[in-house]
Amino acid sequence: MATIIEASNLSKRYGSFLALDQVSFSLQPGRIVGLIGRNGAGKTTVLKAILGLTPYQGSVQVLGMEPANHRNALMSQVCFIADTAVLPRWLTVAHAIDYVAGVHPRFDRKRAEQVLATTSIRRGSRVGELSKGMITQLHLALILAIDARLLVLDEPTLGLDLVYRRQFYDALLNDYFDNERTILLTTHQVEEVENLLTDVLFIDRGRVVLDAAIDDLAGRFQQLTVAPGNIEAARALTPFHVRELFGRTIMLFENQPAESLAGLGELRTPTIADLFVAKMQVAAP
Amino acid sequence: MKALPIQIQREFWEHRGLWIVPLAIAGVLLLAVAVFGHIQFDFSNAATHYDGPVPPPLVEMVVLGWSVPFFLAAAIQATAYLVDCLYGERRDRSILFWRSMPVTDTRSVLVKLLVGLALVPLGAAVIAALTSLLGSALLVLRNHDVLINGRGVVALWNTLSWLRMQAIIFYGLVAAMLWYAPFAAYLMLVSVWARRSPYVWASVPPVLLIILEHMIFGTNYLGRLFAGGFNELLHLAFRLDEHGDFAAGTMANTPVGSDVENLRFSMQMLSPLNLLASVRLWCGLLAAGALLALTIRLRRYRDDS
Repeated sequence: MATIIEASNLSKRYGSFLALDQVSFSLQPGRIVGLIGRNGAGKTTVLKAILGLTPYQGSVQVLGMEPANHRNALMSQVCFIADTAVLPRWLTVAHAIDYVAGVHPRFDRKRAEQVLATTSIRRGSRVGELSKGMITQLHLALILAIDARLLVLDEPTLGLDLVYRRQFYDALLNDYFDNERTILLTTHQVEEVENLLTDVLFIDRGRVVLDAAIDDLAGRFQQLTVAPGNIEAARALTPFHVRELFGRTIMLFENQPAESLAGLGELRTPTIADLFVAKMQVAAP
Repeated sequence: MKALPIQIQREFWEHRGLWIVPLAIAGVLLLAVAVFGHIQFDFSNAATHYDGPVPPPLVEMVVLGWSVPFFLAAAIQATAYLVDCLYGERRDRSILFWRSMPVTDTRSVLVKLLVGLALVPLGAAVIAALTSLLGSALLVLRNHDVLINGRGVVALWNTLSWLRMQAIIFYGLVAAMLWYAPFAAYLMLVSVWARRSPYVWASVPPVLLIILEHMIFGTNYLGRLFAGGFNELLHLAFRLDEHGDFAAGTMANTPVGSDVENLRFSMQMLSPLNLLASVRLWCGLLAAGALLALTIRLRRYRDDS
């Protein structure tokens, strides 16, 4: 199937600040990609470029279309949740459903009603009367009822409690995701989405610092808790990150065969959170 | 086009005052007629008898009188709506939700213009028309015992006059929409552009321009342009003399034997060709187009979310 997003040399400047610097990546269908970076790293700018919400330099193709010039056609196949609380406070739940049903050709009203029925949200309530978690549930119910090929989520669970966050991602996986649909989500809460993602894209100060499939991480990265006495030997194998924890030395290696590290200590695949922190520290000047 | 009704409804959901206020005015007027509508006038007095050949345009004046509060409110509401319509969605960040839907910026802006420039005044006209009907009916009921010139008040009613007056009002509204299109587009541009205080931005620049013109050139051309707009519209769209009264003498084809009173609220009073021949109207429409194009562009490319 065709590539969902193809970005090459994507750059964006706000005044003298370079928000994106020659970012290139591609997204295949049926993937859940985490665009992960610190606050201000450029995550939202990438999403805005993809959604045609901001001008940029370089080239982006989303579903074969150039977003800035085909926003309308694109929005019938792409859904996005910017973050919580962008639904207007004056809108009632019933009106929100009526509106999306009226303007969106791929919206299934029954589906939205079904999803909403699993929540305690009343039709007559105004968005302003709902809690932050309920607003996200409502927004998700609207989005899940749209037969979209790409779902873009920008910090979708920001400010929500653990129960809502868990429900949100469960609903995404159970009710939305299949092998033809693609989800691109940004977050800085790496642990939350670790088990959800099929791919990660780390971004730091406008540059991509890691673009990898989760399945490939095990073969590519090794985390070695170095046995005392092996530190110099391990260092010789050029770890890209070293840290001390409770008197033990933990090293991260990239593209280093497991066999060469095996005798030097306890070996395992690093978590995405470990990798993220390491990559960010390495990238820092 | 299928989505148009829901997009229009969406504007009235957000700006509920647009439909509540005219209905409230209608309610207050009708209540006032129901309570205070009994004519306390002694029609046996000979001075109130009208013996001329032409009856006074009573129905027309009643319809016009009923309409005034509705149109005043509609003008204020439409202005407030146009200033807020593109600012409000950025203030509460809901623009990100609206723009996540397959609706072009051009369409969003034009729907808002349609609502502010056309539907609010037309809605006011419809509610005013219904109110004038109901109100007149109430007046007749409340005064069924009053005789004027020996006839019941119901005899004063003339459906044709009422219909003709509605047509004249409708014509006047369309003329005003065309005339004020650049003003509406200016308000929308302010709405899409202002980071805060759009009402201040909408009002300060014109005032500043007038003051600057006065200080630099000692003239008041802009002031007259802004303030005299309504008067000029009236004189272009209707055949009026310098006193604002119906100008029968200016009509080339005044029917033989007709008299001025009879024509005051007739279709003869309208001068659409005169209006359409106005350079100012066309300049205004061109300016409106340019301002709207800029508004659409700003909504599309503005990135301060």
